[in-house]
Order: sequence, then structure tokens, then C-alpha cells
Amino acid sequence: MTARKELLLSAAVVVLFAFGPWISPLMHLDVSIVSGVLVIAIAVMSVNLLLGYTGLPAFGNAAYFGLGSYGAALSVKYFQVHFAEAIVIGTVAGLLGGLILAPFLLRRRGIYFGLLSIAFGQVFYFIAYRYTDVTGGEDGMQVPRPLFVLANAHATVSDFGFYYVALAFFVIAVIAFRTIVRSPFGRTLIAIRQNEPRVRYLGLNTDRFIFVALLIASTMAGLSGALSGLLINFAFPLQLDWHQSGYFVLSMILGGAGTVWGSLVGAFIYVIGNDIISTITSWWQIFLGALFVACVLFFPRGILGTLQALGRAPQAFGDDDVDANAAFDPNAAGEAGRGV
Amino acid sequence: MASDGVLLEATGITKAFGGVRAVDDVSLQVREGTIHALIGPNGAGKTTFFNAISGFAFPERGRVTFRGTDVTRLVNWRRIAMGMGRTFQTPSIFPELTVDENVRLGVSAHAKQAFRLRAPRGEAKAAVDGRVDELLGFVNLIAQRDRPLAELAHGSQRLCEIAMSLSTDPVLVLLDEPMAGLAEAETDRIIGVIRDLRVRLGLTVLFVEHNMRVVLSLADRITVLDRGKLLADGTPAEIAANEAVRSAYLGEGVLDHV
Repeated sequence: MTARKELLLSAAVVVLFAFGPWISPLMHLDVSIVSGVLVIAIAVMSVNLLLGYTGLPAFGNAAYFGLGSYGAALSVKYFQVHFAEAIVIGTVAGLLGGLILAPFLLRRRGIYFGLLSIAFGQVFYFIAYRYTDVTGGEDGMQVPRPLFVLANAHATVSDFGFYYVALAFFVIAVIAFRTIVRSPFGRTLIAIRQNEPRVRYLGLNTDRFIFVALLIASTMAGLSGALSGLLINFAFPLQLDWHQSGYFVLSMILGGAGTVWGSLVGAFIYVIGNDIISTITSWWQIFLGALFVACVLFFPRGILGTLQALGRAPQAFGDDDVDANAAFDPNAAGEAGRGV
Repeated sequence: MASDGVLLEATGITKAFGGVRAVDDVSLQVREGTIHALIGPNGAGKTTFFNAISGFAFPERGRVTFRGTDVTRLVNWRRIAMGMGRTFQTPSIFPELTVDENVRLGVSAHAKQAFRLRAPRGEAKAAVDGRVDELLGFVNLIAQRDRPLAELAHGSQRLCEIAMSLSTDPVLVLLDEPMAGLAEAETDRIIGVIRDLRVRLGLTVLFVEHNMRVVLSLADRITVLDRGKLLADGTPAEIAANEAVRSAYLGEGVLDHV
């Protein structure tokens, strides 16, 4: 895809979403559901950066997501912060989570990285679950949406207004994400996925790259969690749970690992499917599972990755095209050669 | 740098896997400007020794000194920054990337461009472009530069890996079985490149090899390992005349050519 074509297509998607509040009723969707798609897409992007691009099994990103949600909810409840402040606090909570966990996660690669990610995530889950006095425990905490305050003016944030907040953050996230993965830094992350020992034998400290990737991902997941919590006015332990992490990973694979827009496609399927199909049948999870199996077996590049591959010859470095199979290649990011 | 011309010195390197001592108390000196071969039958511990030198896996005992500095426990990427380059028995490359992109990654890394959010422009870009051209020219892969490395023959992948290992401006190049699995014609091409490493680039080379014909035609100095132990160390003529080496290679008849 040429740069011009890509820009036009991206602009078309954004314009389409700009009319979201008018289009969604035609699809019998509540506007807040579409807000949810945009918000969750940011969390899926955070998994995509680590798993799709860098090859790290990011099976615990719900930890940062939940920290974002609780960060926003707790600060609203106990410190009566306003709307924008709650978003900032939630995002910073995600980043702090990343700062705490990254030094430990860095020490392992491959499946052990994945297991550590899950285990650390569960620690946060149990804290939220058990620390009932503060977090409301299993029931979670319902927090009214805070006021938006600018100078002396303040306003309630309606679902309509929230939609454009979500869209704005989504657009910022996509631009930041695209800038990162197309940069020399992002190219190095892809190289780490393909052959980490070789990157080290080119004189690069791969730990440093992975550390920064983890911080970027935890910040994105924190932002997504903060927005998600404010959208539904609710923070609850399952947001931190490894199932939630799993849904992010499934969405990323479905949408297209290693593609900039695949995260949006994956989040769309997951959120809409969860909302619509689950009201029709309680077997929704089976549909999701079957879809995932079919995806991995028949189009491992995911929906967008497959469409892109059909459109032109694969070019691993020229574009945002990364094979999802390769993301799971145990040799791609092995333990060996790290000089442990 | 050590004044006596020793670029790399390994002393008493020992490494065991389970109960097996893959490398047992092996020492070696690589002098500046030499082409030094490390040979031995299968399972002699050549690659394990190589890994200890290059920091791929640390030895249990022993000491590695590079350019006068103890690097025994130094992480591998720092050794590269100190002027070591290495290739692997199975070429360690980015198969999905083109030849150009493979080499460019190393050149960009060395130019401290890899951590940036902006691609190099102007003079910085010209410097990277120039260096990539130079390296591709050295291994004669200019014509294939835009092809994914996975599509190329094994020998060309090797050459590209050599170019990658040169992209960080090393003074010492470690080559782990550079001719393994290559046809005769490809072997000759690599032999030429290894000679050029010293003649044209003035580098020091330490290489692991099976093929005695290659070793005797290239090396100034040969170290022989057998079952993890140091068997002999000397000039090609001395090694060819060495009784212990002859018996380790008995039946292969290769030493008679000297």
C-alpha cells in the first residue's frame, strides 16, 4: 500500500467513526457500545505491540488495563477528581504497573514470559478481589461519571460526548502506535521477534528495547482501562483477570497481529459479538472460540493481515505485516544467547 | 590493547553439560592480524568454546580477555561494542527481511540509530547508505540486495551474515563453521571472503572448521580440540606433523596433502 493510499484509507475510517453516533442506531447499536470498541482497541494495540510486533507473549495486559480502571475509579471516589484527571491518573496507574513488573518480566522470554505475565496479573486481581474495604471486592465499585471541568466551566459527560472523547484518544493512540512501529525503534522490535540473539550480536541491548516496549504497552492498556471504567462507571476485579488478558490476545489474533488497524477490527468483533450475540445466545463464547480456531488454522495473519496479504506481496519490513504464526514461534524469542 | 599483539586470550575455559565436560581447561591466544583456526572432530567442544568466547553462554571456569580487558562475564552485546563480531553455524539472520535490510539493521545499530523514533535523514542517512553499500560490495551481494534472505542460497545467507557481523566495525571476527553444508564452489567463495577480511580490512579472524583442506589453505595458526581437551596448538606445518592430531583424524587421510 502506498503512503497516500494508506492515509486516505485511514482518514476514511476516522471519518466513518466520526459519524458513529448517527450510524450506530442504524445497526441497532448503542453509541456507548461503539465507544467500547474504540476504547478496547487501545488495549488490543498494547498486546499487539508486545506480541504481534516484538514476539513477547503478553498474556497479562489486563493487569495494566484493570489498574487503569481502578486508578480512575478510586481517584474519583476518594479524591473527587474530575473527568480529565481521572483519565490521566488511570493511565499513569497502568504505566506504574508496567514500571514495577517490567524489570521482572524482562528476565524471561518465550512461554515463561507469558506465565510470569499471567501470574503478576493475578496478583493484582486478588488484591482487588480481597481488599473489599477499598475496592468493593468481588462486587467492584460503581462510581458516577465525574464532571468535565475546564477553568470555571463544568459539564457532565454524556454518552454522546464520551464517544468523541474515546474517538479522540483512539486516533491519538493509532497515530502514536503507527509512529512507533514504523520508526527505527519499532523496526528493532520486529527484528527482536524474528531473531533476538542476532540483534544482541549486532551490539544492541535488547532488554532496553523490551523495557520501553513494556512501558508503552502498559501506558496504552492503562489508558484503555481508565476510559473503559469511566465509560461503564464501574471498576471490577474481572477487568484485571487473566481471562480479560486472553480476550485482548484473541482480539489481536482475529484482527491481525502486527497490523496497525487489526486491533480495531479485533476489538470490533469482540465487543460487538459480546454485546449482540451474547443477548441472542449464551453460546457466544463457543462462537468466539470456533472463530479463533478457524482464524489460527486458516488465516493466521488475522482478518486484516489476510486482506493485506491478498492485496499485495508480503513484505515483512516495508509494511506493518507480521505473521501471527511467527509471533508464536518458540525459537523466535528464545532464552538462548542472552548471556544470562 | 595488549602490547604483545594478543587480541583475544582464553585461559582454562571449562564448561560441562550435565556430567559431560564439553570443554575442559582449554586455553588459546589469538594474535592480532592472524587467521586462526579452531578444529577438532565432532563433539570436540569447538562451538561450546566459541560460545564462551563470544558470550553466548558463560563458562563455568576460566577467563576470557579481549583487547586487554577481562570479558569473561560481560554480556554479549557489550562485547560487540568492544569490537567482536560473530557468525553462527546455522546462519543467524532475519530471513523475512531483504539482504539490504539485514545489513542495514546492523549498520543502523552501530550508528546509534536503532533506538530512535525518526529515521535518519540527510548526512546520517547518507552515512548509513554508504556503509551498507560498502558491506554488500565486500561480500558481493549487491545484485541480490532487494531479495528476502530466505529466498537466497545457503552460501549467500552466510555471506550476508558475515556482512552483518562486519556492520558493527569489529576488529576480531568469530566464524562458527562458515563452510558447513556448502557446495565446493560456495566454499571457495567464502574462503576468498575470509582472506579478504585480513588482506583488505586488516581484521583478525578466529574460525571453527571441519574441512582440513580449508583450514590448511587459510590459517596461520591452528588450535586442535579433541573430546573437550586441547590436543595441539601450532602452525599448519606443526599441526600436520603432530602425531596426536594424526591419530585423532586417523583414516581421514586429509593431513597427507600437506
